[in-house]
Amino acid sequence: MADYKFDTLSLHAGQSPDARFGSRAVPIHQTTSYVFDSTEHAAALFNMEIGGHIYSRLTNPTVAVLEQRLAALDGGVAAIATASGMSALFVTVLALCSAGDHIVSSSQMYGANINLFEHTLKRYGIETTFVPPNNPTAIAEAIRPNTKMVFGEVIGNPGMDILDVPAIAKITNAAGIPLVIDATFNTPWMIKPIELGANVVIHSLTKWIGGHGIALGGAVIDGGNFDWGQNDKFPTLTTPHFGYQGAILWEEFGPAALSIRIRTEGMMNVGPCMSPQNAFYILQGLETLGLRMEKHMSNTKEMLEFLVNHEQISWVKHPSLSDHPDHKAAMRLMPKGQGSIITCGIKGGRNAGRAFIEGVQLASHLANVGDAKTLVIHPGSTTHSHLSADAMASAGLTDDLIRISVGLEDIKDLKDDFKQALRTAGKVASANGGAA
Amino acid sequence: MKIILHNTEIFASTGGRSFDAAGSVVMFIHGSGQSHLGFMLQHRSFANRGWQCITPDMPGHGLSKGTALKTVELMADWYVDFMQAIGVTKVTLVGHSMGGLIGLELASRYPHLVSKAAFISTALAIPVNDALVDLAATKESAAIAAMMDWGHGPSGHIHEHTMPGTSHMQYGSRLMASNAPGSLHAGLAACNKYTNGPTAAAAVTCSTLTIVCGQDRMTPRKTGLALHGALGGELVEIPHSGHMSITEQPLDVNKALQAFF
Repeated sequence: MADYKFDTLSLHAGQSPDARFGSRAVPIHQTTSYVFDSTEHAAALFNMEIGGHIYSRLTNPTVAVLEQRLAALDGGVAAIATASGMSALFVTVLALCSAGDHIVSSSQMYGANINLFEHTLKRYGIETTFVPPNNPTAIAEAIRPNTKMVFGEVIGNPGMDILDVPAIAKITNAAGIPLVIDATFNTPWMIKPIELGANVVIHSLTKWIGGHGIALGGAVIDGGNFDWGQNDKFPTLTTPHFGYQGAILWEEFGPAALSIRIRTEGMMNVGPCMSPQNAFYILQGLETLGLRMEKHMSNTKEMLEFLVNHEQISWVKHPSLSDHPDHKAAMRLMPKGQGSIITCGIKGGRNAGRAFIEGVQLASHLANVGDAKTLVIHPGSTTHSHLSADAMASAGLTDDLIRISVGLEDIKDLKDDFKQALRTAGKVASANGGAA
Repeated sequence: MKIILHNTEIFASTGGRSFDAAGSVVMFIHGSGQSHLGFMLQHRSFANRGWQCITPDMPGHGLSKGTALKTVELMADWYVDFMQAIGVTKVTLVGHSMGGLIGLELASRYPHLVSKAAFISTALAIPVNDALVDLAATKESAAIAAMMDWGHGPSGHIHEHTMPGTSHMQYGSRLMASNAPGSLHAGLAACNKYTNGPTAAAAVTCSTLTIVCGQDRMTPRKTGLALHGALGGELVEIPHSGHMSITEQPLDVNKALQAFF
């Protein structure tokens, strides 16, 4: 029997062709609820003594295929698909933290992640200390007795600072708290954080995993590799559940305790479930993830060469470049590729940057990443515009920063598109007196 | 529940329900490198239907402390001591894999303690490849990976699971990795050393059920049928399951157990 590899699991994990009709594709179970065989069957499902489906807010057969496929690819014991990446993060925090608890988080990450920790969770009594992701000492020093998790993105958005997963995992392991990783920018094709010591992985499936910009989704991957009973920090998992006859999830479900808690609290009581239609769309993307990631990486490599040598570009940042501060860590952690996000500065300041953004024809100006199509944006005026000047600086954002999500187009066409847009930007810069 | 047995803290699952030692007790006996979690979908089900379920983690396994026992015979004696410690006088026992060997010893040597015995994915003997035993001693993670590979049928290998969103293979790996170091090696070595199966089976007098799985590569179908031939009693075959039938095909296993109980 084979130990199936990545590309095989991308296509097959979680699904056998259905026995009744032989459908090879994953069927879309567009239903809210499921008929019970009997009252005993219903009782067994509610008691979690048998598997099966009750209501699609909790589980759905189409969504379950996606979940099982993601768990297989990331090396987790279970996965929970959610309506978005943000809701995946929220239900994870909900399962682990209560009022009075504390989180240590990377300071260099997606603006909505920062907002959730800095503002939303704070209103509910959960405090966060933000630290640079590439400073293990600062992370260790920020951990308090009431800290319940350390959180960060492997590749920070958009600054692309690298979180050294094995190094930080050693710290969290010693502290008896889980390392929760947002792996959206890398996908399990580039790095599997759980294999490197992380305990929980969060994905925005909207990005590379879905890959086609047609469906929102998120996922929590439960690594099943954390001993929730080693201390008294996680009462949501080690003391009786408010439902399910007071089951102690760590004793009853062991490595899957966290995912059961998320399913029976976050999904049950908050309800950010993924629709079966969206699960189907994301599964179509997931089937070709390996192929697409290879092309994303090769296109990114050529685009980097083009940008580094272009006279209208003042600077280029990517973890594969030797002048990136975390270059060595990136190459060690992600030898197959260091991501398809590039940030760069356009000579001529904000106006030149705007001219470039408005000048591209193939690349699309929008607030997303990881699409099959190339995307560009100016974070300072869009995704991170709500951040204060200090927070912008702290996140490593400058006014001239352009973020490029390199897509799958023919690279020659992409470079031609960028050439003409940069020519336009150059003219604006000249008109502005060449201000850089 | 947690008790102290032989000066060691022992955990036993009661299937999420309170436990009455005076009731109809079903005791689940886990296999090598396993724990109470392997029987998650059995003991929760039967506990919810009025049986008094008890699934202890042997020393060095699951949530129990201590060091793994070295022989199948010692393990059977340990279960007897466990029963006495919690005040149980008679059980229906259910053994999976090495737990079946322990069940043979227990039912044959202590017939007054066993009312019925079910044997799942097991045999009269479970010889283990020496290379695997050595691997368990020198590189346990590789031994676990090999056992996960061999222990699961097709549905396990494509990470299907009756519990939505869960992966058989990964769950099984983490379950085994959470045991105390050396426990897997002790269990595999104990299986290898155990030769008393035919004698024990001949001495079993209680009602028995043997569940045999068609895609079991660790205790292949023919060895399960040989066990049934020695025991007599009831036989249920699950053609589409591998060795980890209790998690791979829990509904089929539970249906067979319920009919037998």
